Amino acid sequence: MENPDSSPRDSTKPFFGRFRTIFRRTIFFGAVVIVNLLASLWLADLFWRMGFQKAHYPLLGIFIVLNGLLVLGSFHAIFGAIDMLLGRRQSVRISKLAEGKTGPLTYRHAVVIPVYNEDSVRVCARIEAIYRSIEVTGNLDSFDFFILSDTRDLDLWVMEETSWTNLCRSLDGFGRIYYRRRKTNENRKAGNIGDFVRTWGGGYESMLVLDADSLMDGADIVKMTRVMEAYPRLGILQTAPKLIRGNSVFTRLQQFAMRLYGPLFIRGLNYWQLSGGSYWGHNALIRVKPFSEFCELPALPGREPFGGRILSHDFVEAALMVTQGWEVWLAWDIEGSYEEAPPTLVDHLIRDRRWCQGNLQHLWLIFARKLPFSVRMHLFMGIMAYLGSPLWFLFLALGTWIAFDRSGSGLSQLPFENYAARWFHVDGIQQSIILTLVIFALLFLPKILAVIGAILTPSIRRSFGGTIPIVVGATLETVVSMLLAPCIMAAHTMMVISIISGRAVGWGNQNRETDGTSWGDAIRFHAVQTVLGIVWTAIALKISLTFTAWMIPILLGLLLSAPVSVWTSRSRYGRALARKGILSTPEELKPPSVILLADGATAAVDPALDAALDARRGIVAAVVDPYVNGVHVSLLEHSEITSTDESLAERCLSEGPSGLTKSELTDLLYLAPAMLMMHRAVWLRPAEGIHDVWTQAVESYRRRLDQSAISGPT
Amino acid sequence: MGPPRHSLDTLRPLSESELNEWEEAYAAVEAYLQALRLRNRLLVAELVRGILWRASARRVDEPEKPARFLAMEEALTEVAEWTQDVLDVPLENRRLAARGRLALLLAGMSGKWQGVFLTPAPWPPEFVEAMKKSYLAAGPRFANLTMIPKPLELNAIGSGAAQWWETMDRRPIMRLMFIGLLIALIALLLWFFLF
Repeated sequence: MENPDSSPRDSTKPFFGRFRTIFRRTIFFGAVVIVNLLASLWLADLFWRMGFQKAHYPLLGIFIVLNGLLVLGSFHAIFGAIDMLLGRRQSVRISKLAEGKTGPLTYRHAVVIPVYNEDSVRVCARIEAIYRSIEVTGNLDSFDFFILSDTRDLDLWVMEETSWTNLCRSLDGFGRIYYRRRKTNENRKAGNIGDFVRTWGGGYESMLVLDADSLMDGADIVKMTRVMEAYPRLGILQTAPKLIRGNSVFTRLQQFAMRLYGPLFIRGLNYWQLSGGSYWGHNALIRVKPFSEFCELPALPGREPFGGRILSHDFVEAALMVTQGWEVWLAWDIEGSYEEAPPTLVDHLIRDRRWCQGNLQHLWLIFARKLPFSVRMHLFMGIMAYLGSPLWFLFLALGTWIAFDRSGSGLSQLPFENYAARWFHVDGIQQSIILTLVIFALLFLPKILAVIGAILTPSIRRSFGGTIPIVVGATLETVVSMLLAPCIMAAHTMMVISIISGRAVGWGNQNRETDGTSWGDAIRFHAVQTVLGIVWTAIALKISLTFTAWMIPILLGLLLSAPVSVWTSRSRYGRALARKGILSTPEELKPPSVILLADGATAAVDPALDAALDARRGIVAAVVDPYVNGVHVSLLEHSEITSTDESLAERCLSEGPSGLTKSELTDLLYLAPAMLMMHRAVWLRPAEGIHDVWTQAVESYRRRLDQSAISGPT
Repeated sequence: MGPPRHSLDTLRPLSESELNEWEEAYAAVEAYLQALRLRNRLLVAELVRGILWRASARRVDEPEKPARFLAMEEALTEVAEWTQDVLDVPLENRRLAARGRLALLLAGMSGKWQGVFLTPAPWPPEFVEAMKKSYLAAGPRFANLTMIPKPLELNAIGSGAAQWWETMDRRPIMRLMFIGLLIALIALLLWFFLF
């Protein structure tokens, strides 16, 4: 397709050649296929020795898929390790295009932060940190910031306005930090970003898309924009965000694992995907023009959950970019990219429910024409991240059935001499053990490689607090993740079943912080896993003690799902581990400057403009407080008040906000004349004429004055 | 603004209920000034007194209106008219009252300009400039781009599946038949492989 920007793109030499790309992919996936094939043949041979039953065929089929996924995962780490051993110079690193470049940026760039029912003070603290961090580089003039609100909670909407105003006042950021709220949140986050691109996108060369919990170092942002400016073929530059600020055991486990093992996988991923990378929805820089041309998402055939609007838009946007000849790179060496994680297993699984539906929708794209290989691989891996669980469940269930069947049949376990016996002189038990060891090696090799690498590299070892914290942390993480895996498997299986049965998911905001999961919630949430564990244990015990022993890791995970979920959700245990230096990450032990900036950020909080007080929160503040009302009304479009609006405002005055429906309140909050009329009314009218909520809010100012009079000057 | 030194003689003599009524009016005006984050109690007292004086003068002609109403109306009008004078913008509609309050906030009236609040001109040029440049913009100048979704091009298998899927969406009976067939197939497979 012809477009005005195609010439600089097409006249630029690719950063990494096509032939070398094909070579790398052939090596990587060839190795995966060969190892999987060998393991599958080994298992088939074992089945043959045992005497093939009909149930062995589906078992073998599922094994090929599951083992393929396992090998694929492990080989990411292995190739990542090889890439690391070869050294930074040898590895493919797109960001080296920015090296040696200084001076002002050529184009303007936007930092966009979509928010949905978030804590606006915390969001603004992160923006403040990024703003100040970019300011230090001297390139602030090249950036504009956009808080793109899709918030539906009306109180939070008002708080966003006040936080943003305070932020701008404090940073002198008016005309550089903008706030916009959409009236309707059509097409969720993708629609929110799309709305920005349609409205203001033409003013920017690229946009840095962040999540509400994202944090990025200013120098790295500038570096990314330099890469974008230097390489016209680049469409998306994705970073690998590190998890930070985990308090609960669950989050600390996640952030430790991602920090220790993550770099191996990221390097392995970069080894084969190269210019055909993916986009993970945030902490990525996107060239705006091609994004607007090619990334408006098509609707999928049919209705939700499988059809309709695409939920997991990011993968598809990257796919559309790559399909149109734009390159999508993973900037694995951009260090200053951070995000936060759901605090508990329950929150993690609630988020997974959305992602699961979104990724299963991608099944349609597998059948799309003209998709490059790397795009299909990304989509496949995304789908299998969730479909793998029901397959694993089926594998275990079939295995149990075969064991049960065999235990009742009295058949000999080793009736034939098979290939393994003939060529390697191993008996059936040895053959089983070898296969098990291979599987375990594939499972644990990434962790082992990462731990060895960290211990042997002084800078990494020191950054994690030394050898002992690394080993203890990795051991604890391995044990807990083994316990969590069956629970997650069962949860994902139920998610897939619920999606197949036609239940679509809503759009919830993510819980960023919590005091932990209560026992009641955990027992309710994990009831199916627990019951499944009890039944499965009973069956396993009936089969044999040996079989039960083999199944112990699975059964324990299911039986203990509720207690483990509760224990890992507790912040106090997480903090206790942190005090001992266990599961600590380099960012926790020596926080980077941007995290310190965010921790100390207070610009969004000012008592002069506050809509978060108990006595006058959100909507009440927008009506009663002269400044909050002034800010809110100033951000509204001009409108005329009708008699219907007036009667709605009168109802709100007499019945309070709770007397109106959410839709009526939303309409009222969008009417500037009604908001002004209500502001006058709550101050002019006697208490008898209006609802208590207004009089109490008015009184709250007086109480403060009285209290200060009593306490006297300080 | 009424002269603060002026006595409130127009109110006298006051009955017990009238005293309470003016007490309520005082409290409301004081609370409003507090809401504007005026911290200095001397300034607040002076301003309340001035506003109440004007309200009491109006009360002579409008005895049916409650003291609180008159006082607060005076307060709101006074703030709106004063900010209009500072901003030098005609007060065409109430929306400008919000603009005025916003300007007070952004100019930092409650901080270093408390002493200037509701005083007659001339005002410090720095304060006037800060007031005039105070406005909010939700976004920069529009720079539109178009985003048009392109239909998904499916291969033969995908197209067939899409057609089938949409048919099932349109016709529930087909969906039921399909689900039934699927369950039967799964049951058949289970029976075949397990028994």
